[in-house]
Amino acid sequence: MWLGGSSPAPAHPELLTPGLTAGIGSAIAHHGELMQGVFEDDAGQLRRALVTMPLPGRGSQAVFYPSQSHWGVVGPSGLTKARRAAIYTLREFAAHPSPAKGGRVEITSNVPHGIGMGSSTSDVTATIKAVADYHGVSLSREEVGRLAVLAEMASDSVMIDDRVVLFAHRDGVVLETFGHRLPPMTVVGCDTAPGEAVETLSLPPADYSDAEAGEFQVLRGALRRAIATEDVGLLGKVATASARINQRYLPKPGLEPLIELCLRYGGAGLQIAHSGTIAGLIFDARRSRIDTDGCVLGIKELGFAVTDIIEPARPQATRVAQLAAS
Amino acid sequence: MSLRGSFAEATDAYQLPKLIRLDKNLYAACFTLMKMIPARFILRRAAQQGRLDPGTVIVETTSGTFGLALAMQAVHMDRRLILVSDPVIDERLYRRLTDLGAVVERVPAEAAKTAGGYQAARLDRLEQIMTDLDAAFCPRQYSNPDNPRAYSIVAEYLLECLGQIDCITGPVGSGGSMCGTVGQLRALLPECRAVGVDSHSSVLFGHPDGPRELRGLGMSLMPDNLNHRIFDQVHWVAPAAAYTATRQLHQRHALFMGPSSGAAYLAGRWWAQANPDALTVVMMPDEGYRYQDTVYDDDWLAARGHLGQPLPAEPVMVDDPAQPSGSWMAYDWARRAYHEVMSPVAAAQGEPG
Repeated sequence: MWLGGSSPAPAHPELLTPGLTAGIGSAIAHHGELMQGVFEDDAGQLRRALVTMPLPGRGSQAVFYPSQSHWGVVGPSGLTKARRAAIYTLREFAAHPSPAKGGRVEITSNVPHGIGMGSSTSDVTATIKAVADYHGVSLSREEVGRLAVLAEMASDSVMIDDRVVLFAHRDGVVLETFGHRLPPMTVVGCDTAPGEAVETLSLPPADYSDAEAGEFQVLRGALRRAIATEDVGLLGKVATASARINQRYLPKPGLEPLIELCLRYGGAGLQIAHSGTIAGLIFDARRSRIDTDGCVLGIKELGFAVTDIIEPARPQATRVAQLAAS
Repeated sequence: MSLRGSFAEATDAYQLPKLIRLDKNLYAACFTLMKMIPARFILRRAAQQGRLDPGTVIVETTSGTFGLALAMQAVHMDRRLILVSDPVIDERLYRRLTDLGAVVERVPAEAAKTAGGYQAARLDRLEQIMTDLDAAFCPRQYSNPDNPRAYSIVAEYLLECLGQIDCITGPVGSGGSMCGTVGQLRALLPECRAVGVDSHSSVLFGHPDGPRELRGLGMSLMPDNLNHRIFDQVHWVAPAAAYTATRQLHQRHALFMGPSSGAAYLAGRWWAQANPDALTVVMMPDEGYRYQDTVYDDDWLAARGHLGQPLPAEPVMVDDPAQPSGSWMAYDWARRAYHEVMSPVAAAQGEPG
């Protein structure tokens, strides 16, 4: 757990029933998507779905302070989705031997809002986990996903953090598992409209054409191979193709110049937030040298702001070797 | 990672080709019955959209494999099927179609002597049947956009298997398989080349219409589903060359396919050799069983003068696609519209050709 063993002192002790501990939960953010569109489920029905680009360096931590005297959940103003998530999760535990009636949610987050990093999804996911934690229960990742979609209508799949999935973000179900992890990638992230925010739920869902549904099916096959064979080059092509289809719905300024910049520096392709303003230049992290400084300069020359440089998680063995050497 | 399972129904088992490596940069996508892809897709989508309820009769004019695919899918869906054909329909195919429950109507032999021949007579009869029925559904493979759309499953499969594809070669008839597969593949690989294979005396890419012996490719009428802008290059293969290539495919690679597959193999093999760093896939639409008494019979070939003719090492590259030349010719179509190729001067002035 993010916060370690001790819970911080509650700001409103009157809401906290004596003797009850708090629950804690955490969730990472994401840097938009690698692919988003419409895809067939096992029954052949088309569903909106996406593949998330995780952003482990950012995230939300939630603390749930239960109350046995007050119904309802209070929390920071503006975080209605997180409050709603707490209420839905509390309902799940109604049959628990000692359920909380209501409570208060506190959230600490370093995820910017409205640019497509899933600030609300990480808040919501952390909250669901905190409420479950209070009840001494660890929900399955799919269950957290279902509750998150219930709370916020559409949700990226940051809660499913043990594999790469095609996630129906408005239904809260996994359509396909592509593999255990993404291939090693370095992603140079940027904001294509600095200062502008996108309110996800105010966007009309993209009205994909039937021809585009066929193209997404093709991208899905390529992504299946890219993840199974750790082919960053192919994965980059999938992300670029998905970004180009999305131009019809929420166009990114400077998409083609960014793709061109990425390819000029030997990158694999461009991923975007399909409901946000951020984009990321994808590189194969196994390459001997990636000129991230040059990329950053190129991004600034286009008038965009650099967000994050996402590096692949270091293999455990390296860390052990470093510890042994120190 | 995935567990191999069973198919829900027989036609489901016909969806994906067998992808077979012929050379270091050449693969064959072998279908048992490629027309099953549009037939199944079109009928299932029509049912989903409420255009093919249990009382609706499926009506189509065909004397080929599209009819067989419709008949098989109609069994699964428990729908009546009427196929309008002509007296030259293959007798074995006729027996198989009727065994599957299809009603096969043959227009009278006299129709061959009237204007428009069998094709016009069949279309007239089709319209008559549609009018007489309370509820009818016609798949219309030559104009229905669901025909090319159905091939997304093939493009998905090719990419999953190969990742990178630089060229797809295949026979062209309705336009569905090549335009659908390549068109959708280009969402990911916009540079992927398309090499279409046609037959002499087919109107598809500009030859004057005439009698054609080679089956499974070429047309006398221009189908709406043929998007000429898909194609980088077009080959025309005469019957003898197609038959010889079909037999070579069998003799060298043990692949027992039909003559349209052989024609595509000839063009694809040449393209792969000329582009050794590029990966080429050849679409092979059906198997050899229907041609055992013809293409696979030396006596039949000899009687037509097709036996022992040497296969040209390369096509004759032509500057004018409308001028038939040699037994194997090719033209750089360069992803242009039909009128841009046929009337370049008019097209440059912005007039339709």
